[in-house]
Amino acid sequence: EKPKKDIDSTFNFNSYMSQKGISVNQALDKAIALKEPFKIHESMRYSLLAGGKRVRPVLCIAACELVGGDEATAMPAACAVEMIHTMSLIHDDLPCMDNDDLRRGKPTNHKVYGESVAVLAGDALLALAFEHIANATLGVSPTRIVRVVSELAKAIGSEGLVAGQIVDIDFTGASDVGLDQLEYIHIHKTAVLLESSVVMGAILGGATDQEVEKLRKFARCIGLLFQVVDDILDVTKSSEELGKTAGKDLMSDKTTYPKLIGLEKSREFAEKLNREAQEQLCHFDPAKAAPLISLANYIAHRQN
Amino acid sequence: TMSMHTKFDLFTYWTSLISEINVQLDQAIPVKYPEQIYESMRYSVLASGAKRATPVMCIASCELFGGSRLAAFPTACALEMVHEASLIHDDLPYMDDDLFRRGRLSNHTVYGVDMAILAGDALFPLGFQHIVSNTPPGLIPETRLLRVVSEIARAVGSTGMAAGQFVDLNYSEESLVEFVQEKKFGELSECSAVCGGLLGGATDDELETLRRYGRTVGVLYQVVNDVLEFKKEQAEGGGKKNRNSSFAKVFGIEKAMEKAEELRVKAKKELDGFEKYGEKVFPLLSFVDYAVDRNFDVVGD
Repeated sequence: EKPKKDIDSTFNFNSYMSQKGISVNQALDKAIALKEPFKIHESMRYSLLAGGKRVRPVLCIAACELVGGDEATAMPAACAVEMIHTMSLIHDDLPCMDNDDLRRGKPTNHKVYGESVAVLAGDALLALAFEHIANATLGVSPTRIVRVVSELAKAIGSEGLVAGQIVDIDFTGASDVGLDQLEYIHIHKTAVLLESSVVMGAILGGATDQEVEKLRKFARCIGLLFQVVDDILDVTKSSEELGKTAGKDLMSDKTTYPKLIGLEKSREFAEKLNREAQEQLCHFDPAKAAPLISLANYIAHRQN
Repeated sequence: TMSMHTKFDLFTYWTSLISEINVQLDQAIPVKYPEQIYESMRYSVLASGAKRATPVMCIASCELFGGSRLAAFPTACALEMVHEASLIHDDLPYMDDDLFRRGRLSNHTVYGVDMAILAGDALFPLGFQHIVSNTPPGLIPETRLLRVVSEIARAVGSTGMAAGQFVDLNYSEESLVEFVQEKKFGELSECSAVCGGLLGGATDDELETLRRYGRTVGVLYQVVNDVLEFKKEQAEGGGKKNRNSSFAKVFGIEKAMEKAEELRVKAKKELDGFEKYGEKVFPLLSFVDYAVDRNFDVVGD
């Protein structure tokens, strides 16, 4: 048996993220060619290729590789999840929703292309995500691809992303939002898509049902963690550091973890979620689990 | 046998399918928390009086090749969901700005613009989920299901219906009327015929024929719709803004009806190759005449 190594010393997270980020960006660029009508495709590309850390696609690829699959197998689903994430941001930023002017340090989609194009570009990205999975996934049994389609569909509709946004809108400005409601919003707005990224990767990589469930639980924890950290950063960082309007949650009277339980307790909660997430990975080969462990730590300790 | 289709009772075929489709759509969208989104989705999808032309075409195409109706229902319902999703978004204030749809208030007029956008966003994936979760296992090979998903996604996407809506909103050149008609109205009809064929086991050549047939019938149906609407507008005064794509408005009623007859012949000609399937082609043939003649009222319960 090999001696146990300190994972952090052998695994270079930054180079892993930048390498995967480059592959994902190349694949996204290829997935949406600029064609007629140009303005819609430009608008789709504007938001999709605006940078961002590609956390969701990398999670998808890392989960696939963890269970023995390779990057190329997971790439179409990884791109799809980024398309979905982007479309939900485009629609959430609209004036009738969160009314955001700035996203990832750039004017939001509707600010550049107008509201009608923003709605259509979002719809088109949603559709493309499914088309891309169905057409571009290679070397995987159709049974598994069908499961992936179902997983993604469930995560983004009225039981997932949309439900989160609805409840978020409902409670905006309300003074009686409790932890339960806040958790509901975060789980649905953020965690389910991270969960489906990981689960899709696992399914495509050939995971057993038991492995899928472990990874599902891992993803659920880091999904909530992601949002708790977001809430903390919104209170502690400036707009410039975040690339979006900081303090917006406080200004619009949105409920956040720091507001409900204080900054200190929010940080403790984040640590607890990170521990719980990493416990799910105990059963996997530690060397292969290194990317996911580092991703969890990254989500917990990121500064923007 | 081809001329025998005039004896085919399309009305009964269509209305009985409507009842079944309505039951399944009702079951596919149960109201849960958060209730508003489900109510908004149901308001549009279960609107009374919906003709369900899209799902009915899918089922008829599947049955043409001896496919089971049971295999086609989930996809037929999904087609209706994505159709409604795109109508909800098309009606929005910064799109076609329609206050009404099928004689009652449009979705955003009742539920608000934010809810209408989200109802559409939820109906698209629900459609895909409905297909992969509810198509009876064993009846359809999964590779075919994936082709159905891909077909629907392409039809609603950036080179399909979204492209049609975009061009309709932003351009008014006469030369683009046909493009808009094909994308906004031909695309989904084509998709529904092709999906039905895929589920029924059609060959690739047959799928291409269904593609042309479906597209032609979709455009034909809209050209005649536009004529009827334009006549009504002329009689009552007023009319819709933001619609550059009405063939009747741009080229006049006479030209539009000539176009309709042309399309009727073209659509029927596409079906020549299906003569070997006997009576099973009658529904598809009868749709073509119905699209022009509107010889009865299709109303669901």
